[in-house]
Amino acid sequence: MSGNCFEMGLIQAFLDGETNPEVSLQVSNHIAGCDRCALALAEAEEETSAVFAALDREMNTLVPTQRLWSRINETIAEEKSRTSVWQRLMSFASVYLVSPSLAVAAGFVIVLGLFVAFWNPQAGNIEVGVLKENPSVPQLPDGGVRPTEGTPTVPSIDSPTSGPSKSAVAVKDSNYSAEKLRNLVSNASVKSVEPKNVPYVMPASASTGYLPGEESYVKTIAELRQNVDDQKDTALTPSSRVSYERDMAIVNDSIKRMKDVVRKNPRNQSAKQALYSSYQDKVDLLNSVVQREDLIASLR
Amino acid sequence: MTKRRYKISQLTLSLCLAIGLISAVNGQTPQPTPKKEPAPATPKREMPPKPMSVPIPVGPRAMPPQGERVTTEKSIMVAPDVSIKLCVLEGKLKINGWERDEVRLFVKEGSRAGIKVLEKGGESGKPVWLLVSNMSRPGAGRGQFSDCIYGETVEMDVPMKASLTVSGRTTHTTVDSVKKIIIQNVEGNIALRNIPGGISATTYQGDVSVENSSGAISLESAEGNVIAFEVNPGQIGDLFKAKTNSGAISLQRVEHRQIEANSISGSLLFNGKFLSGGLYRFKTSAGSIRMLLPADSLCTVKASYGYGVLSSELPLKIITQNVTSGGKNVVGTIGEGDAAAGATVNLTTVSGRIGIGKQP
Repeated sequence: MSGNCFEMGLIQAFLDGETNPEVSLQVSNHIAGCDRCALALAEAEEETSAVFAALDREMNTLVPTQRLWSRINETIAEEKSRTSVWQRLMSFASVYLVSPSLAVAAGFVIVLGLFVAFWNPQAGNIEVGVLKENPSVPQLPDGGVRPTEGTPTVPSIDSPTSGPSKSAVAVKDSNYSAEKLRNLVSNASVKSVEPKNVPYVMPASASTGYLPGEESYVKTIAELRQNVDDQKDTALTPSSRVSYERDMAIVNDSIKRMKDVVRKNPRNQSAKQALYSSYQDKVDLLNSVVQREDLIASLR
Repeated sequence: MTKRRYKISQLTLSLCLAIGLISAVNGQTPQPTPKKEPAPATPKREMPPKPMSVPIPVGPRAMPPQGERVTTEKSIMVAPDVSIKLCVLEGKLKINGWERDEVRLFVKEGSRAGIKVLEKGGESGKPVWLLVSNMSRPGAGRGQFSDCIYGETVEMDVPMKASLTVSGRTTHTTVDSVKKIIIQNVEGNIALRNIPGGISATTYQGDVSVENSSGAISLESAEGNVIAFEVNPGQIGDLFKAKTNSGAISLQRVEHRQIEANSISGSLLFNGKFLSGGLYRFKTSAGSIRMLLPADSLCTVKASYGYGVLSSELPLKIITQNVTSGGKNVVGTIGEGDAAAGATVNLTTVSGRIGIGKQP
């Protein structure tokens, strides 16, 4: 701070939502009563909006989002891990043998091997270059494949106690037809690609010790939050996103502070009122994103 | 033995050269893309059909409508209390009420707009329900937004008793002298005046201002300011509601008996008078609440300000007060007389400042 006022850097950080909730609140309080800092904030906002306006076109190009890239990379990694050793060997050979120099070198290696085999009768018969069977891929009686160690595990549908870490590997071959295995793999791939299907788990600390009426707020917020987290990247412009995150930080801080007060003194009706009011603000804030996305969808 | 070895060496060298030559020829020949077939032993993965993963940007960040841009003008005779529905993607939208039973539509440099009659009145046979929509030929640049019109300017003249339902994406809207309007915008300011039959206006990025209007009024902006000036209830019980997340709310001469105003981080200003029996709720999370009241105001103030501050230029008689850390609660009255006959004002803030001032 310079004098009683905040430095421009801190104000900019506040504007960008980079300050922690306590500092945000401190800055908010100060700005509410300080014309100089309010003016500085307004100027910073103008600058930010100008920058966003300049970058808007760049940021709005039809490029995949970071989330999409990560999903694509995950899928590629998954595909790679599912590829057998034989397939990898074939793909290696198909890529590298097209180069003449590498092919010549390979030829020399083969010839060298033949020499060694010829001149060293104790070496026995060696099958060169061809693997008749991939030993790492055990065959099922019906032609299917039992997943091996290192391949992604498949959650068992039949066993209610088995979580995602429990794999079908533990089940005997006779229990799995090819069709069933295929379904399991298919289901697993759906689950792994679509994280939206994973139910939202409320924080453990929030699941106990609710005030009367608080639980309904928490549940509503959890449900809304799930929707908003999926939508806010597409529904909000950068400047809107900044405002949203800033308001959310303020509301979260209000909830936290009021909750602490109510925990200490449950009879404090004023704090309870402020707490519920903050919860309602949070619901409204999340709702505004959802409604905005709904409106955008209705205009398509 | 030596001769045999020599022959074998020759044979091997020839074999080696032959392999190298064949491989070199293969390398120079364009190879077809190796067809990737699943290993016969690998179970076939039945992937569910996936939608296109690349998100199509929508809303304010979407590409502007591409296609033919023409200037259109249409008009139609209608019933005076006609209902009109329209959707505008972009442009300056101006709707003006006039004293003619006619709707005129003018779109400058935009989509080919038209007016569809959805319903006609029983007695007069005149249209009572209209839809303004994009009438571009299929495939002629309609794009994915086929029902919504767009243009540099979209102007409409409608009967003064007309009711409108408007949705927009990026539009700056001005509406004057119609009976009633329901409007929601993704982005853009909304300015409304002389609307006696009620207003519901929402914009997610922009300001909402209302002037000289009445009825049940709901104004909402996610980020912008909400301004109301000289607004009255149409009938007893009409509610005035203003809400913004980070913008300011300014209410001047709003004479509804029920007012709710809520902002999260923005400030809230009320400059007017509280009516007897009225119920007023002003709420902010971190913004300030400022009220400017006449000196002869009569009301009961219930202020709850967790970490905030309360100050009053008008004499505030404290009835109950509970001031603890993080939970301050004050109930008091302003003015002389029976407080029960006055208005009730609920003020709630977590960390903002509440100020009650005297009108000049």
